[in-house]
Amino acid sequence: MRFESETQHAPRSGLILLQVMVFGLFCLFTLRFWYLQVHKGEQFAQKALDNQMRQVLIDSARGRVWDSTGRPVAVSEPSFALGLVREDCEDVEATLAKVAQWTGADPAALMETFKRGKKRVKPFEPLILVTDLSYEALAHIEANDIFWPGLEIVVRQKRHYPEGSLMAHILGYVAEANEEELEKNQALSLGDSVGKQGLELTMENWLRGAKGKKQVEVDALGRQHNEQVIVEPAAGNNIALSIDLDLQRLAAGLLDGQAGAIVVLEPDSGKLLALVSQPAYDNNLFVLGVPQDKWSELRDNPMHPIQNRTTQGLYPPGSVFKLLVAAAGLSEGFITYKDGVVCSGSYQLGNRKFHCWKKGGHGYVDLRQALVQSCDVYFYKLGERMGMDRINAYAKASGFGVPTGVDLPHEKAGLIPSREWKKKRFGEAWTRGETLNASIGQGYVLVSPLQVARYVGALLNGGKLLKPSLLRDEPPEIQGVLPLADEHRRFLVETMVDTVQGGTARRLLRPDARVGGKTGTAQVVKLINADQRRKAADMPYKYRDHAWLASFGEKDGKRYVVIVLVEHGGHGGEVAAPMAKAVYDYLFGPPPGKTAVQADPVIHQLEAGD
Amino acid sequence: MSPIDRRLIVSVNWPLLILALAIFAVGVLNLYSASGFRMGEEVSLQSFFNKQIIWGGCGLFAMLLVVLVDYKHLGNVAWPLFFVTILLLILVLLTGRTVSGARRWIEIGSFNFQPSELAKFAVLILGAKLLAKRSEKLGWIELFAVVGLGLVPALLVVVEPDLGTGLNILLLLCGLILYRGISGPVFKSLLVAVPVLLPCGWFVLKPYQKQRILTLLDPEKDPLGTGYHIIQSRIAIGSGQMWGKGFLEGTQSQLRYLPEKHTDFALAVFAEEWGFVGCIALLVLFCFFLLQIYSTARTSKDRFGSFLAAGVFFYFFWQILINMGMVLGIMPVVGIPLPFISYGGSATIVNFCLVGIVVNVSMRRFVFKKS
Repeated sequence: MRFESETQHAPRSGLILLQVMVFGLFCLFTLRFWYLQVHKGEQFAQKALDNQMRQVLIDSARGRVWDSTGRPVAVSEPSFALGLVREDCEDVEATLAKVAQWTGADPAALMETFKRGKKRVKPFEPLILVTDLSYEALAHIEANDIFWPGLEIVVRQKRHYPEGSLMAHILGYVAEANEEELEKNQALSLGDSVGKQGLELTMENWLRGAKGKKQVEVDALGRQHNEQVIVEPAAGNNIALSIDLDLQRLAAGLLDGQAGAIVVLEPDSGKLLALVSQPAYDNNLFVLGVPQDKWSELRDNPMHPIQNRTTQGLYPPGSVFKLLVAAAGLSEGFITYKDGVVCSGSYQLGNRKFHCWKKGGHGYVDLRQALVQSCDVYFYKLGERMGMDRINAYAKASGFGVPTGVDLPHEKAGLIPSREWKKKRFGEAWTRGETLNASIGQGYVLVSPLQVARYVGALLNGGKLLKPSLLRDEPPEIQGVLPLADEHRRFLVETMVDTVQGGTARRLLRPDARVGGKTGTAQVVKLINADQRRKAADMPYKYRDHAWLASFGEKDGKRYVVIVLVEHGGHGGEVAAPMAKAVYDYLFGPPPGKTAVQADPVIHQLEAGD
Repeated sequence: MSPIDRRLIVSVNWPLLILALAIFAVGVLNLYSASGFRMGEEVSLQSFFNKQIIWGGCGLFAMLLVVLVDYKHLGNVAWPLFFVTILLLILVLLTGRTVSGARRWIEIGSFNFQPSELAKFAVLILGAKLLAKRSEKLGWIELFAVVGLGLVPALLVVVEPDLGTGLNILLLLCGLILYRGISGPVFKSLLVAVPVLLPCGWFVLKPYQKQRILTLLDPEKDPLGTGYHIIQSRIAIGSGQMWGKGFLEGTQSQLRYLPEKHTDFALAVFAEEWGFVGCIALLVLFCFFLLQIYSTARTSKDRFGSFLAAGVFFYFFWQILINMGMVLGIMPVVGIPLPFISYGGSATIVNFCLVGIVVNVSMRRFVFKKS
């Protein structure tokens, strides 16, 4: 062996190594190819023909929803769909024609479904042609599908809402996931249902389980055998609502035929016992895809059944807002209990006259009287002294103009107007007159029934703003504290009791419980002018004011807040109070003695303006 | 640029080029087949086939650029290139674009760049430069120095995580060390140490990587996870039998769920359609391709060139070994593609560039320095 010069030659041993490696590679893989393709080729070819392994997803059961006493309000039932596995189907057109014959479906529509599905569904997965088969059709297919390879009955979970429209605004509904949702969530496959509204949407991740996987072997005829579950499906979690179904039903019945909202909540926990918005819609309609005509009917209905009035209905709070303005005045040191005002029936601001609802005036009223009698002039004066900026800041700190955070989608924040807001919205400066309007809860101020419920709850529970909760087992969540001294808070609660004793909410009076309330009337006509909407001018109903009642009741250590809003219901005391009374009769049992309070003319007068 | 004169053209390792192009053509043809669903539908994934052709064009162009510059200049940029690569690898870990959980890309405008591709070159060139310097067999010190240098980029790549590329870099370096040769005592010590140390590596692996190795031993244990690939891949290959089912005739039903049938498992599609005969033909093509690289390494006029060619040899060799082994079910599933057969843009360009380096060495083997 010659000594190699350093720069001239490649290392000999290295070169030999390379040759050996190539030789080894060739031998190794030739042997392996031979073993697999020639020695065992027959077997593998047979396997490929006979038994194709397929992975199939197993649906998981969506969690169920119960009311607080365990009655089901959302369940999943099996439903049967007919799918076509393209790979196993010999003659698509003939098969589709047969399916049309069995199910009564339109052949052209079936073809359309098939063409659309081809883009999304793999050839070895069932492409769903018909959902929710009737039992007759099912029996027919079961008997005949052996002659039509590729057809497959697919069992799927279908959501059902036993209570329908009664719980629709709370539960919302599930429906087939659209393109966007499929893109966003990789766990979803075509044809899966997802929550679209209500708790079904906000609690989607909690309710939806995880799919399982099974491996099936499919023979050349498309028959499945040797199923083997690889991943067990995980069922979704259940939900127990805080809602009491009986109370919900009662409240919905009270509003029957009218548009409005009723909220019942426990002030100490924030739990909602009833949350009713009327009119409602049947959420079962949406589960299998709502037909276009039905949808148009719902969407264009002037009563807006789709809207959840408890969270999305915004109304001027009327006199109910006076509680907040009084709280602001007390907290900011503008008034004391003793400060009085002489109400002559109107208040002069520059060259404009602002009227009290009571034409003759209330005479001399202090704060307690002003709240009980709902004297507008007192609050005009107070609002004027405080100015809008202060009212705005205080209202925001008390939870108005911001969403309550309830677990329902698309909640609206309401509106507490301000100089900036008006500048931005109308390009105009804020006027002092608008401050006066806002002080009695009219004008631009907008609140939702749920916000009012949260506020009244906070007045009762020591000033804690709690997140209104629909879930029975959710611990209370404190969102903030009212900027209000305890003494003042108790004073406001007392005036509410007085209002029931001898003011505008006297219908709620019952000897065995401590009940307080505040009625309110939200003017509508001004709104129409403001919105420049005159198309409803021929409907007197449209002109009627909205009726508010914010109330609470205490008996045997149990406390409840009941808020009623009736759209175009006229005066709070007349329409809303009997509804609230019926709710208390359910909560506390019927009052001893007579069951109905006779309306007496004095009250009638009181309520004439409120 | 040094002028390209006639002598250079004549000296080019033409068989190597032709073999590379032939294997690439087989790959493109196979992609065409792997891309099509023939369920009464038009070919739906044709873009892979089209794109691969474009990548091939880019690769050939890049190869031309590599060929133009005398490879001896590569030795001068070995160190700077190495450090720039390390910096880029660190940069990508800090700021890279995350795609399905791995940070591998640096975005430059609309162009995505994988520093791990550059690392292959950096390690190849630096390794060749260092190991070619002396001719006696490697002692301990040199061995540790070279392996240490290679470990830095390899580990950075593994962290991305890109086990396949990291493994490839290390194996390439080990190959070069073997090519140079290890001194007797060191070799004996390693012979004892490696089998002892190998199980320790077990604890470094991520759970899913352990799973793959366990699966290899018993594919039926995890029939839907990694075992699924192996079982289905074997069925596809086996069912090709002696003559295969014919071009475009593979049922592919077993591989239809595998996204890797374009990339890592492309060979399974090929084997199903071309059978044992086709597979052996492809294997022969690969072996001749490797032997052409070997002949360039043998005839190179200097050791640096020889080591460069050997490095390229090992780069391709390990990939062929690991990918074929994986598809044939005798090696764990590691994400390593089959050169020129698997779909992949950057891989195709890198492969052609590496062939370019070998061509570069081959064509300048008779050109002497003007002294």
